Amino acid sequence: MAMLEVRGVRKSFGGVTAVSDVSLALETGHIYGLIGPNGSGKTTLFNCITGLERPEAGTIVFEGQRIDGWKPHRVAQRGVGRTFQVIRVFPELTALENLMVVTRGPRAEAEARALELLRFVKLERLAGEYAGNLSYGQQKLVEFVRVLMTDPSLILLDEPAAGVNRTLLNDLLEAVGRLRDRGKTVLLVEHDMKVVMGLCETVFVLDHGEKIAEGAPGAIQADERVIEAYFGR
Amino acid sequence: MTRGRTFVGALALLAVALAVYPLFGTGYGVRSMLQLFMWVALASSWNLISGLTGYVSFGHVAFFGAGAYTTGILVTGAGWPWPAAALAGGVAGAALALLIGVPCLRLKGPYFAIAMLGLNEVLRALVSYFEGLTGGGNGLSFPTRHATVPIYYAMAFTAAVVIGMTYLVITSRFGLRLMTIREDEVAAEAMGIDTFRHKLYAFLLSAVGPGIVGGLAARDQGYIEPMSVFPLATTITMIVMVLFGGKGTVWGPVLGAVLLFVFQEVVWSHFIYLHQLLFGAIIVAVVLLMPRGVLGLLQIRYRLPRTI
Repeated sequence: MAMLEVRGVRKSFGGVTAVSDVSLALETGHIYGLIGPNGSGKTTLFNCITGLERPEAGTIVFEGQRIDGWKPHRVAQRGVGRTFQVIRVFPELTALENLMVVTRGPRAEAEARALELLRFVKLERLAGEYAGNLSYGQQKLVEFVRVLMTDPSLILLDEPAAGVNRTLLNDLLEAVGRLRDRGKTVLLVEHDMKVVMGLCETVFVLDHGEKIAEGAPGAIQADERVIEAYFGR
Repeated sequence: MTRGRTFVGALALLAVALAVYPLFGTGYGVRSMLQLFMWVALASSWNLISGLTGYVSFGHVAFFGAGAYTTGILVTGAGWPWPAAALAGGVAGAALALLIGVPCLRLKGPYFAIAMLGLNEVLRALVSYFEGLTGGGNGLSFPTRHATVPIYYAMAFTAAVVIGMTYLVITSRFGLRLMTIREDEVAAEAMGIDTFRHKLYAFLLSAVGPGIVGGLAARDQGYIEPMSVFPLATTITMIVMVLFGGKGTVWGPVLGAVLLFVFQEVVWSHFIYLHQLLFGAIIVAVVLLMPRGVLGLLQIRYRLPRTI
């Protein structure tokens, strides 16, 4: 059984149908890509899955439980973590505090884990710095490791590569790969095709809110409908 | 660490000095200090909800008034001793916060602020209407025996407890979660933080102090009426004190309360008419020149913890 099953989800804003009857299924322990031109509904679909938007139709089943219509914090507590396309760190909290907010249980343990994650993205020296003072790329990394603090089983990444320098990007992608090896499931929105092609095992393509293709990266690149969506006929 | 110890030592000394002050101070002095403690408790309480979560409560004096009337009714109607009645005032504040918070904290920031503003007016009208219980526009008069010195200690204790509570909240992960609501409520939710519940807890905590000091102030003044315990100016003063001292910190509201109270007392005695004008000027200056307040500015510049 799929760990996440999106079935016939629809969401519109005014007269614009952002997501139109989209269905997709994710299996545990794989990395999936979600691509499409700007405005094709990728972020809206993320928002529907994570509870920030309530779908008008369709169901979302996560690990055997319907989660559509749930409040975002409940979805997150259930095990779905996400990052945002526009950075959403807590600027007046330090990098360390950004990671500490969601932890429970013994504080020393949580702090050790947070520092370990910051070390992993080479930010341990900036642990006490306000997140708002960090560079764009650094904030992006804080957001990435922050989502790992809750140890979610499904991780949604909204353009993780944008604005991150090449060296760090490789580390980050390697980290995503390792998450998969540890049995996590990852769904990522990305415009950088190299990232998508190198990392994802299955790619879903959205255009005008509809899923127009699904398959292995190689096959997707050759798909006529996909080429048309990106470049026009 | 030594700096921390010096600070704690200075605090202990200050506490001792304040504890023996009524033995030496004049009646006017004790009365002024008592009012200062009241402002410290009010400003620190407002900081708990608005300084930490960013949800600006424009009606916080409602809890003060609810505490005052609860105390007034229990003392004059039921013959309770004033300390117990003032504690009941704190409970009344929290109960009112629960009643108001459940619907209103679901609103986003600006709408919450407006709703709170309305609450205050509604309460004032209600208190005027239920004459049988509250005396309506005639107000309530307490028994006239003086209790300034015991009230001084009760006020000081309440202020200390509110400061202590603020310290505990700000140094805890619960406090960090409250701040995430101020920083980015959507991200907080996406991280699994039940923002509504957190706001509600902070709101309840922030209503207890004003309820208690409302009761104490009522007993001290000996007479309450709707206009005297629900003035919008009290809420504004709380807000200005916190903004001036530094919102979201432990000592900012205390510093703001002390500085502005002293300023008010001095200016009040010299320029009665200029007073409000100067107060208004301070509000404008703070918002324009140092939106983080005195401590907020130092905190950012010198990387001080929020506990300073």
